[in-house]
Amino acid sequence: MQFAKYVACGISLLAMACQAPAEDHSPGGEELYQLCSNCHGETGAGRPVLNAPAIAGLGSWYIEAQLKKFRSGERGTHPEDLPGMGMRPMAMSLQNDAQIADIAAHVAAMPATRPKPILDGDAAKGAGIYATCSTCHGKSGEGEQEKSAPALNKTHDWYLVRQLQNFKSRVRGGNPADATGAQMLPWVAMLADEQAMKDVVAHIQTLK
Amino acid sequence: MVEHYLTAASSYATDIDNLIWLVTIIVMPWFFLVQGILFYFLFKFKKKDGQKAQYITGEEAHQMRWVSVPHILVLLCDIVLIFGAIRVWVDIKQDMPTPDATVRIIAQQWAWTFVHPGPDNKIDTDDDIWTVDELHLENGQTYQYKLESRDVMHSFSVPVFRLKQDALPGRVISGWFKPIKEGNWSIQCAEMCGIGHGLMPARVIIESAAAHAAWISAHGPGKLAAATPAASAPAPQTAPAPQAP
Repeated sequence: MQFAKYVACGISLLAMACQAPAEDHSPGGEELYQLCSNCHGETGAGRPVLNAPAIAGLGSWYIEAQLKKFRSGERGTHPEDLPGMGMRPMAMSLQNDAQIADIAAHVAAMPATRPKPILDGDAAKGAGIYATCSTCHGKSGEGEQEKSAPALNKTHDWYLVRQLQNFKSRVRGGNPADATGAQMLPWVAMLADEQAMKDVVAHIQTLK
Repeated sequence: MVEHYLTAASSYATDIDNLIWLVTIIVMPWFFLVQGILFYFLFKFKKKDGQKAQYITGEEAHQMRWVSVPHILVLLCDIVLIFGAIRVWVDIKQDMPTPDATVRIIAQQWAWTFVHPGPDNKIDTDDDIWTVDELHLENGQTYQYKLESRDVMHSFSVPVFRLKQDALPGRVISGWFKPIKEGNWSIQCAEMCGIGHGLMPARVIIESAAAHAAWISAHGPGKLAAATPAASAPAPQTAPAPQAP
């Protein structure tokens, strides 16, 4: 009798384990963003200590394009791009283009945080330099998708300077497969030194 | 038999496999013997009506033998295991064969950077070839590796080499391996290193002398390799495109 109880209990457990799983659950952008929030923050405001820039409110097309670049290795595979190398596996963990699109739409819908500048650039000097940049990135730094130019007025100044340095040294945009990144290479050649980069970024921080 | 499930691609992989076999062959009979005795006693001395439980002090000679005899036998088995293990440990970890080349392996959250010697066959010179998540080795050559970490603890794990070595921030750890089988195999991080720990796979590409020489010559002096996205692709990769420094 005792033995029969054990058998019945075992069969019950087996039946529970074999139950049909719940309906397929496809995570939405908000759920997928939980992975990103570990570094970029729940509001997309970024965390400088983790080399994670503010991303809230950036165009979904730009987020999507960059995630695909990280996934394919067009970004994040240069040995000197240490933060990019950290970002790449995150993009690789997204299973398909639909997930990338979902996450990009979620980030784009977040209110921009406009983080405070921390660098000491001269915005007045930078205004003259930015006149060239504005042909693609817009007078207000709002970006223009048709020219593959992202918004500049929604992220950290230190991140923008680092990216200018990366473009200058071809750490970014140097991969032959990164065609839109390569568009930036001739433009950063006009920036003489790091101070010029800080100046133009200081001006970008004043744009509304 | 292990090789049937996991390729042995380093000169010492079989030694590790044999050691695992030695441990298994010695420990497995003990496991079944002990479990058998345990269950035998469980049923033999199960609750019986009218019989009280007894407290046995184990001072009688015939009772003490249940402890002392297995104890001595286990110690003898331990001696066999220790001799087998020390021999492998000395061969792999203590002895450092004269290397044909040296590679630097740098771990970070969450990627691997590999510094290969260029045409001069020396690292830390101008013609070094840097790659991310892609280690190129010549089949049959003995390599010394210098393993370091840029941030937290990682562990350089190459299952086909039967190699797993921790990387510690602030230390350069040396070791060696000799690839013996051409192919494209996985590299993993085997130490929990943060949220991207499970997402930092890399590949080791073991190639013939001619193919390796061609790969090196494709990355001439002064050039820096931008690695191709090998980690996500199971198939062998083409050589990374050279990129200006």
